[in-house]
Amino acid sequence: MPVTSFATAADIGALLPTTIVALTALVALFFDLIVPAATRRLLAVAVAAIGLVAAGIVLAQQYPHEYAAFGGAFLQGGFSTVFSEIIVIATLATLTLGLGVGRDDQVAGSTALMLWSACGAMLMSGAGNLMMIFLGLELLSLGLYCLCAISARATARESALKYLILSSMASGFLLFGMALLFGASGSVALSALAVTKPSVLLFLGSGFFLVGIAFKLSLVPFHVWTPDVYEGAPLAVTAFMSVVTKAGALAVLARFAYASIPSDSSTAILVPVWTVAALSMLVGNLAALSQTDMKRLLAYSGIAQVGYIVAAFAGQTAIGVRYAIFYLAAYTFMNLGAFAVVALMSRNADAVVGLGRFAGLAYRRPWLAALMTFFLLGLAGLPPTAGFTGKILILAATIEGGYAWLGGVLILGTAISIYVYFKIVRAMFARVDEAHVRDERSPNGLAWVTIAVCAVAIFALGLYPFTPSDVLPLVH
Amino acid sequence: MTVTVLVLGPIAIGLILYAMPKGAGGLARGIGAAVAALTFVLIAVKPDAPDATLPWLSRPFTAAFHLGYGPISYWVVLLLAVVTFSGLIALRIPREREFTAQMLILQGAMNGVFLAKDLLLFALFWDLMLIPVFLLMLGWGVPARGTRAHGTAAWRYLIYNVAGGLTLLLATAAFGVVNGSTDVIGAHAATVTVGYIWGPWIFAGFAFAFLIKTPVWPLHTWMPDTYAELPPPVVASVSAIQSKAGLYGFIAIGLPFLNEQMHAAAPLMFALGLVALLYGAFIAFTEDDAKRILAYSSLSHLGLILIAIFSFNPIALAGAAVYIIAHGLFSAAGFLTLGYIEEREETRSLAHLGGLAGDNPRLSGALMITSLAALGLPGLAGFAGEILILTGVYAAGFWWVALIALIPIVIAAGYMLRLFQTIMHGPKRADLPERQDLTWNEGFALAPLVLGLVLLGINPHAVAAFAAGVNVLAGH
Repeated sequence: MPVTSFATAADIGALLPTTIVALTALVALFFDLIVPAATRRLLAVAVAAIGLVAAGIVLAQQYPHEYAAFGGAFLQGGFSTVFSEIIVIATLATLTLGLGVGRDDQVAGSTALMLWSACGAMLMSGAGNLMMIFLGLELLSLGLYCLCAISARATARESALKYLILSSMASGFLLFGMALLFGASGSVALSALAVTKPSVLLFLGSGFFLVGIAFKLSLVPFHVWTPDVYEGAPLAVTAFMSVVTKAGALAVLARFAYASIPSDSSTAILVPVWTVAALSMLVGNLAALSQTDMKRLLAYSGIAQVGYIVAAFAGQTAIGVRYAIFYLAAYTFMNLGAFAVVALMSRNADAVVGLGRFAGLAYRRPWLAALMTFFLLGLAGLPPTAGFTGKILILAATIEGGYAWLGGVLILGTAISIYVYFKIVRAMFARVDEAHVRDERSPNGLAWVTIAVCAVAIFALGLYPFTPSDVLPLVH
Repeated sequence: MTVTVLVLGPIAIGLILYAMPKGAGGLARGIGAAVAALTFVLIAVKPDAPDATLPWLSRPFTAAFHLGYGPISYWVVLLLAVVTFSGLIALRIPREREFTAQMLILQGAMNGVFLAKDLLLFALFWDLMLIPVFLLMLGWGVPARGTRAHGTAAWRYLIYNVAGGLTLLLATAAFGVVNGSTDVIGAHAATVTVGYIWGPWIFAGFAFAFLIKTPVWPLHTWMPDTYAELPPPVVASVSAIQSKAGLYGFIAIGLPFLNEQMHAAAPLMFALGLVALLYGAFIAFTEDDAKRILAYSSLSHLGLILIAIFSFNPIALAGAAVYIIAHGLFSAAGFLTLGYIEEREETRSLAHLGGLAGDNPRLSGALMITSLAALGLPGLAGFAGEILILTGVYAAGFWWVALIALIPIVIAAGYMLRLFQTIMHGPKRADLPERQDLTWNEGFALAPLVLGLVLLGINPHAVAAFAAGVNVLAGH
């Protein structure tokens, strides 16, 4: 579709949720200037929450209205709405973990950065051309560079710098791939790419493009940055990265795999991706075995979990993308629930929480331990959680897509992950001498709300696997 | 409705028990025993309760929350109610509230396994029933020899059984995709197709899970430690009911829907069954730990049931059904009795026990009856099962299998009498504390099990009912 005129009202409407989130950040910054110091923290988070809820409501209304805005640059409705909704919910949840990020005087700024990063991810989920993908990705990353460095810990700078350098390199790969793809198809539109004849440029371009995406998804072997960056960043930022960055990149990957490459060369281009997903499930879980820091452990577990989600895309079946979305939603709740538990176990929601802190937790704080067990059961794919239902759906998708071997690898990876997650359960239920355990508590009650919501969502989604029906990623 | 209550009732009440005040342990335990007794009454008075079903998945295959009685499962859940009741009314247990809660959750989950009429629901409860056992072992387990770190056995139990649960899950997904529905247990075999290509793989996935759960040599290594370490009420429940889940799976899922694959696997299963039979019997003869003797004797007995199932003979199958219940009765009674002895004498090592019969005639009588039932004394249930199995296997033309299977039955007389004789007879040991004989509570706990052994041993009508039911399943 050629660009004929300036943006219409419908085009602007398509970007309304993103705009709301972006403006909310400005409002939060403005209020920070005029309110008394004591209320800064609460107010910044409250403003952000109101904005996010509003954006979420608008998004929900957009769901049935598929529309290609700006000549196909941004695709509204269905697929992108669902991803954006997950991003909005995840952002809201991360803000509750420690009531924003950083010191009181930093909270408004960090909240704004987080909201803008979320905007980037939302743009990625609806991106219909290569430029929009890059724009979204950079918007997402720029905010995160600053957010990683915001903690007072010495490792935070290292984390931020590492993320900056490696992420820039990945962006370079992505951009180079995009240039080659542009050369192959003569257009930045993904729809043009879908009808390109196979050529060296197409294959090379797709390869570089996918390397860039795999880096953002932290798929093995492009995962090396993840544990270090996650460890150094503040807890809420880590939680944010573990869900929002991945959701944005997954949306791009799905749209690329399903709709943007010519079907006669799709197997050749995509089989390496499925292989990388298989590797991620195995290596992620194996590496998680020896971790004792919770953030590192969850980083590696996240690598494996994204591997499961990517596996659902294999064979590009229509049900595959639905189940990937379902599992992504389940992963969002399970992972954020686990992060919220970790947040409640440190005084300022940002300390380094090692595995040792969990020793005997079931006897000190039974509710927290029970809920953590529930989240870990979900991550391990055991009932009665959405993790269990999600796994069976992904297994069915791999079998339908003709990639049963991926299902086998998924089972193998899950078997290893049992050891990872139950290591924590075991620590929590072990009988230990209380004197040797550091028992810190966060005064932030809001994280409890997040935990409760996540637990209910995981249980309900497990019993009633609600998968949106209208989510095939298309390009126009 | 009845069947739903049987599954969800104990789980819900178990969870509610956690909300009771910590001091009310005795009351919690009373409630637990009452719940178990109520489930027994409920099952006994309504043997023809209708199925309960609620749709679950519609895509990629149909699945339903479908619960209902089957020919064997009716008796198994009845037995489980008795064993849970017996386990809860006697024996000293620390932290009674939590213990009772976990026992009830375990009962509900295992009821779910046996009452599930949908493969996916079966897989769900299969995984679910592992978790309470793991937690019970962590919280109440006593390391067998004191040399190993606490929790090693729990770990091994979990890893082995979840690995089985995962292959079960993959096989269920494949079954669902190929057949279009997993709501099949108890349905007519002709309504189900698994295909030539997928059949062997699906069977392999199921069989791996079932063989681990039973367990069968060489997948049994988790079992002796687990049985030795678990507190008596739990091990009674696990050995009596949970270990039958695999055998039940072969009968209810394997025989009707994977019949060809079952026939193809029969030689292998005969071999595994015979090895388990002989190996278990020989090790039982050499062990010093009384609980481990019963554990290895279980390995031996369950090998016999495996052989019976894979002989595909109606008489042997009827025998298998009877022996499943009979073994449940005498192994539960055996582990509980050993629990009483261990509670009194603070050891279960044969080297340290001896001469208890003089001062404890009732305790001695209890152990005597369970030992006799285990070694297959005519008139008790064990004999009824064994003779049917051997006759059936012989009639099916496997006379050499029947002949080899006779050897461990003879050895069984040896090791069971050795167990009884060493503990009860011989000179009185001066270093053993003098304790009260079997109390009313303990007698009351054992009475229903012993009564069951006698009734099942002399009542041919129950046997006939079993036979008819099993053969309907097998398609004879």
